[in-house]
Amino acid sequence: MSIPSALHPDKLYRKCDPLEFTFTTTEELDGSLEIAGQERALDAIRFSMGILHDGFNLFALGPNGTGKQTAVMHYLSGIASQAGIPDDWCYVYNVEKPRHPSALRLPAGKACALSRDMERLVEALFTVLPAAFSSEEYQAQEKAIGEQFQERQTAAIEKLEKKAAENNIALIRTPAGFAFAPVKNGEVIKPEEFMLLKEGEREVIEKEIASLKNAMQSIMAQIPKWQREAQEKIKELNRQVADFAVKPLFAELKNNYSSLGQVTAYLETTENDIIEHFDRFLEKEGAPHEIFAGLSATKGSFFNRYRINVLVDNSRSTGAPLVFEDKPACQNLVGDIEHLSQMGTLVTDFTLIKAGALHRANGGYLLIDARRLLIEPLAWEALKKALRTRQIRIESLAQLYSLVSTVSLDPEPIPLEVKVILMGERYLYYLLSSYDPDFSELFKVAADFEDDLRNNPEGRFAYARTIGAIVEKDRLRHFDRTAVARIVEHGCRLAGDATKLTAHMQSIADIVRESEYYARENDRALVAAEDVQHAIDARTVRASRIREKLREATLRNTILIDTTSEKTGQINGLAVYSLGNQSFGHPGRITARVSLGKGEVIDIEREVEMGGPIHSKGVLILSGFLAARFGMQQPLSLSASLVFEQSYSGIEGDSASSAELYALLSALSETPIRQWLAVTGSVNQHGEVQAIGGVNEKIEGFFDLCTARGLDGKHGVLIPVSNIDNIMLRNDVVEAVKAGLFSIYPVSHIDEGIEILTGIPAGEADADGLYPRESVNGKVQARLQEMALKLKKFNAESNGNDD
Amino acid sequence: MQQTKHGNRIPPEKTGSYAIRSIAVGIDCSPHSIASLKTAAELAARMHAELLGIFVEDINLLRMAELPFSQEIRIYSAEPESMDTAELERLLRIQAKQAEASLQREAQLFRVHHSFSVRRGMVPKEVIAAALGADLLVLGRSGRSPTCRKGLGSTARTALSGSAKNVLLMRTGFSAEDESVLVLYDGSEPSKSAIAIAIDLLRPGNTLHILMLPQIEGDDKAMADELTMLIPADMLRVEYHTLPAVTDSRILARYIRMADSGLLVLSDRMNLPAETIYNLIDEIDYPVLLVRDGGMNC
Repeated sequence: MSIPSALHPDKLYRKCDPLEFTFTTTEELDGSLEIAGQERALDAIRFSMGILHDGFNLFALGPNGTGKQTAVMHYLSGIASQAGIPDDWCYVYNVEKPRHPSALRLPAGKACALSRDMERLVEALFTVLPAAFSSEEYQAQEKAIGEQFQERQTAAIEKLEKKAAENNIALIRTPAGFAFAPVKNGEVIKPEEFMLLKEGEREVIEKEIASLKNAMQSIMAQIPKWQREAQEKIKELNRQVADFAVKPLFAELKNNYSSLGQVTAYLETTENDIIEHFDRFLEKEGAPHEIFAGLSATKGSFFNRYRINVLVDNSRSTGAPLVFEDKPACQNLVGDIEHLSQMGTLVTDFTLIKAGALHRANGGYLLIDARRLLIEPLAWEALKKALRTRQIRIESLAQLYSLVSTVSLDPEPIPLEVKVILMGERYLYYLLSSYDPDFSELFKVAADFEDDLRNNPEGRFAYARTIGAIVEKDRLRHFDRTAVARIVEHGCRLAGDATKLTAHMQSIADIVRESEYYARENDRALVAAEDVQHAIDARTVRASRIREKLREATLRNTILIDTTSEKTGQINGLAVYSLGNQSFGHPGRITARVSLGKGEVIDIEREVEMGGPIHSKGVLILSGFLAARFGMQQPLSLSASLVFEQSYSGIEGDSASSAELYALLSALSETPIRQWLAVTGSVNQHGEVQAIGGVNEKIEGFFDLCTARGLDGKHGVLIPVSNIDNIMLRNDVVEAVKAGLFSIYPVSHIDEGIEILTGIPAGEADADGLYPRESVNGKVQARLQEMALKLKKFNAESNGNDD
Repeated sequence: MQQTKHGNRIPPEKTGSYAIRSIAVGIDCSPHSIASLKTAAELAARMHAELLGIFVEDINLLRMAELPFSQEIRIYSAEPESMDTAELERLLRIQAKQAEASLQREAQLFRVHHSFSVRRGMVPKEVIAAALGADLLVLGRSGRSPTCRKGLGSTARTALSGSAKNVLLMRTGFSAEDESVLVLYDGSEPSKSAIAIAIDLLRPGNTLHILMLPQIEGDDKAMADELTMLIPADMLRVEYHTLPAVTDSRILARYIRMADSGLLVLSDRMNLPAETIYNLIDEIDYPVLLVRDGGMNC
């Protein structure tokens, strides 16, 4: 097997040629935003927004910062402006059921007009009604009714009084009522005088008084009836006067809203209610003691019933609403019923009903961040309920959970017609799909945003346009094309693939802004490639504290990494450390020791539970490789142990499995490995080296250490051949490779790698499965044979002793 | 009217001294009598007079209660109930206490000296007897009349016909402190006295209406000239009305209602026939001050 050559410097960095751009600076671009490389997601958005059936709401999934919100907003702002303006909504007092305020639907802009009209009307009533009721005509009529009653009563009593007087009997007012008594010369007869009268005379008087009493009783019995009649007449008079005063005002209003049946019905009801309660408009302002007692507040709140609570006002809208709810708490979504504290009691009325995002977005589009929605208590359930029932029902959380015990409202639900767009990470989408059966019913469309886009001329130009749009939006200095090219290269590096550009536009926007900062610092009119590089370097430096600590520890040999000698059973693996949004590579020493045993490979990391499952899987795979290659002729009579030296935290991933296999082969063959080389790559049971992640960081991590110690031309890294396309290395690494100071070897099979690492051919098995004795594989085979014989002998001796 | 921080009302300062040193007021707890009490207290404060409250236990009631067949028909049940003398006396005592409490309240409010007397007998007679020492008797137009009639009650009638005192007949809905005053003037001395009293009663800002009643048409000019001598020059709000050659109380009443100017001040000793005056007082539904002793102001 021939060993692969080190990679040519050209393969280490995919340059973006500034000259491929037709513009000189981003100023020449139109500054408009273009969503590139997201055709799949945009198709899904178009489909979801276009289909009008229930449940076709959208979940835009993808990593944060990939421009989901921008893309959705960009698309929706286009279609929303073309769509019709939805109706206004308001809540009004329900005369029949005050606890159930009625929802009123009006054409856009009419709700506020109605509210103003009602306010003006009520204000006018405070003048019109008192004027009507203080008019001379009303006073005269009211007085006439009162006098009529009084006269009726007086006439009846006077008639009786006269009749009594004819018989010398007087009607006298007592403290509690009336009584009759015989009189003489205007004075009541003294009891002793009365007793001196003849019995017959006394009987006549008593009889007469009894008759008068009966007559008086019948008059008294009729007085309440007359009183009622008088009250009815006054009530009718009041109704007529109030009606006369109120009608013209309402007639004008009804005429203005004659085309709106619901509104005219409301006005009709309100008109009758005002006529019913006309007396409220006649009351003067409460005296100071009433205000203290809270009576004025009660009086004021009475007139609230004639107010219009405009929940949704589309008077200034130019199309369908497009609402992004930044804090999707339950009450912010479906609205809330607020309370006022009055005299220590919580009170509310329909004017305290507050609109939620669903109200504002009704007839249009509502965007919500899925994670924020899910962390808000009950918000997800409230949203689902609204979408399922297609109506917005406002329920106070405090009432639902009995946090407050007071009279609250149950407003009439408002019909809902909205497209909801949830945006979130993929795992949220998959979690909801798996665990919430309602989710797939209500969010039938997924817009899956790509993590990256192709690194081709279109992709690169899309990047340039994005930069131009950011510059335009944030009013930054414009970028010259070298700066744009450098950002494209940075996007390529972030994608971890030379053929791709990251779609994480947030990162690109950040680097754009940071670059512009340095250009401004350097008083440059245009942002140049140097500024972009400055920003990238500065960002690396800002996040390099841990990396430098690690390197320092290595250079001081606190962490033992050998980069100069050759060692048996020892190899430099490469690990990536991710801290925040920065990651860096650093070498780690992997060692392998072998002894007689039952063919097991012990992963010390796994034994102490510091290794993750993927890492353990990698170790078991290499055991499989060993067994398949060397265990066909004889049992593997070894016990091998593998460990990451000086590792004090968990290890995950299988990218070190090839390194572990090299260390094991070295230990078995007793062939030293060149420590100036480092290895990354996973391995399968056939010994093929497979792709890993973070290849750039790993190469640069080892390069940095070797550079610190001094490059001598021998240093290099073995990487899987399938990772070549992912290479996008720093300029200093590329320069070192160009100078022949550092090498990168693409390896496809373990046999290639072992030869590079040991300088001894791996060796190929002959027809009998035997490897050449001087090859690494031959040495391994011989060693294993020797170990098997030793073990066999040992077992035989042990068995003999036992016998 | 000013108010102290304790809520007591201080009458406006007046110069001069008054013949009214004592004001008697009949109190039977009826709405008219409560209005009378308030007015009497306000006048007493203004004139630095003493207030005398009179409550009369109606002897007719007590006699009636002692009659063997006596029963009263209760207002709110319309059912006859036997009358008990002890119970009636208890109720009368309660009424007397209420009357006294009302008097004390008003007297404290206006800071006037006051006394209260309870008498037993025929109400009109006792009220007039109790008010003998007073310079002014204030009564409600009607008391606890069974028929709720609009006209004068028996005590008011007796006070008009059987007393030589100045009599003020009040009714609910009016207050001496807020109202304008209308005086009947026919050029006679008693009517001049009425003008003088009206000027004293009138509060600043209120209007003095003078209804001139010339016997012969054209006399009103001379009357107006006389009045300019009687009315202080700084008195701004004076309105003159003329109704010549009138002796019919109904015409007068109609005119006064039309003017709607509050307290009516007149004398039954002016040139108009006394009967016309009494008919007018009976008919008119305004408070009336009948001036008799030649003026209050010394």
